Amino acid sequence: MGHQWDFSSVLANTDALLVGAIGTLHIFAICLVLGLSFGLVVGLGRYSRNGWFYFPATAFVEFFRNTPVLVQILWFYFALPILLPFEISPLGAASLGISLNSAAFSAEIYRGGIQSIEPGQWDGARALGMRWGQIMRRIVLPQAIKRMLPALTNRAIEIFKMTTLASAVAYVELLQQGKLIASLNFNPIEAYTAVAVIFFVCLWPLVQLSYLLERRLRRDE
Amino acid sequence: MYRWDFSPVAANADLLAAGLLNTLKVTGTALVFGVALGLVLALLRLSRQRLASWPAGFVIEVFRTTPPLVQLFWFFFALPLIVGIEMTPFMAAAVTFSIQSAAFFAEVFRAGIVSIERGQWEGARAIGMTHGQTLRRIVLPQAVKRMIPAFMERAIELMKTTTLVATISYADLLFAANEIAQKTFRPLEAFTVAALIYFVVIFTVSLAARQIERRLAVSGESTVH
Repeated sequence: MGHQWDFSSVLANTDALLVGAIGTLHIFAICLVLGLSFGLVVGLGRYSRNGWFYFPATAFVEFFRNTPVLVQILWFYFALPILLPFEISPLGAASLGISLNSAAFSAEIYRGGIQSIEPGQWDGARALGMRWGQIMRRIVLPQAIKRMLPALTNRAIEIFKMTTLASAVAYVELLQQGKLIASLNFNPIEAYTAVAVIFFVCLWPLVQLSYLLERRLRRDE
Repeated sequence: MYRWDFSPVAANADLLAAGLLNTLKVTGTALVFGVALGLVLALLRLSRQRLASWPAGFVIEVFRTTPPLVQLFWFFFALPLIVGIEMTPFMAAAVTFSIQSAAFFAEVFRAGIVSIERGQWEGARAIGMTHGQTLRRIVLPQAVKRMIPAFMERAIELMKTTTLVATISYADLLFAANEIAQKTFRPLEAFTVAALIYFVVIFTVSLAARQIERRLAVSGESTVH
């Protein structure tokens, strides 16, 4: 236990960590937007009574929920380019894997949220002459989103944590930069501790927010 | 048009089998230790002693809010230097995923224990049981039954998380697939087969979990809605 902690070599590389942080935020933003929006499309497919929408959506959800994200990322990076006429960048492969995985998980959140709205609301809106799209947009989704918010916040936290997997295909993000600093300065203890602390500091407020949203929802219902 | 050819992958089926076995080994080890440690963490967290509940809460929060891959790298590259021991990839993975899943299992245990009505505690105390006896004989048996669905969900997550050990060169299923891809120049087939094996194993467990969940829902004993 005689290790002398010395963070100076990490502090000297703050610029490298900053580059990593920007990389992490970049891929996080891409996956958050793509994952949650595509998830809504898939979720509506899962909710649909039309087999042409329901079965492909269900197959997609089951496949991506029941395989590890890292396998998906490596598949998109090493396997997919063989079928395509072009190369896939580390960012492309990682964001494809993480986005599709998050879409599958958020689809179930959307479906659950939409199903939780009482059928009476649909009947009422239809009686006023609204079409399916109008009911969904004006009546159902605004109420469902409120109920889904805690679960969606949790998804966002999971996506943030998943972005570290992009380092497996050498995408420049925080963990990848931590690896670089550790190997250049022979200080894995400080480098990885710093990376862990940065992630904790970034995610802790989000986690607290999700607890707050959960508590508020429980009180309101 | 690309011509699929699975024969090079099939010729290395033994590597994949050994990889799958190693995946199951890490999952099993982390599951056993994770559940046991998770129960301890949950009991500490529920304790009215702040000296017990705060450190437990801190461990749970840290391991739930940091990425598992960062934890794995820390335990593999940093911890051995601090305590001065050699760490094999398997040990690092077992330690990391045990603690990480313990943090999640702790929350499952806590939710289950809290879901048991206060009256049960009071009734047990009225017939002279101590805290430990009430917990062991009355509360936990009922709580565990309610926790089973959440518990299985966590176990499935754990199995998916174990793929991260491939990044520190532990020969799990994903690592075996990568090796075969490099050896045979057939990454498409190798990674597709690995993905399918994962899917078959995990999907089977998921279906079993759903079946159990449905049965529990019928008897009205579940904390998952």
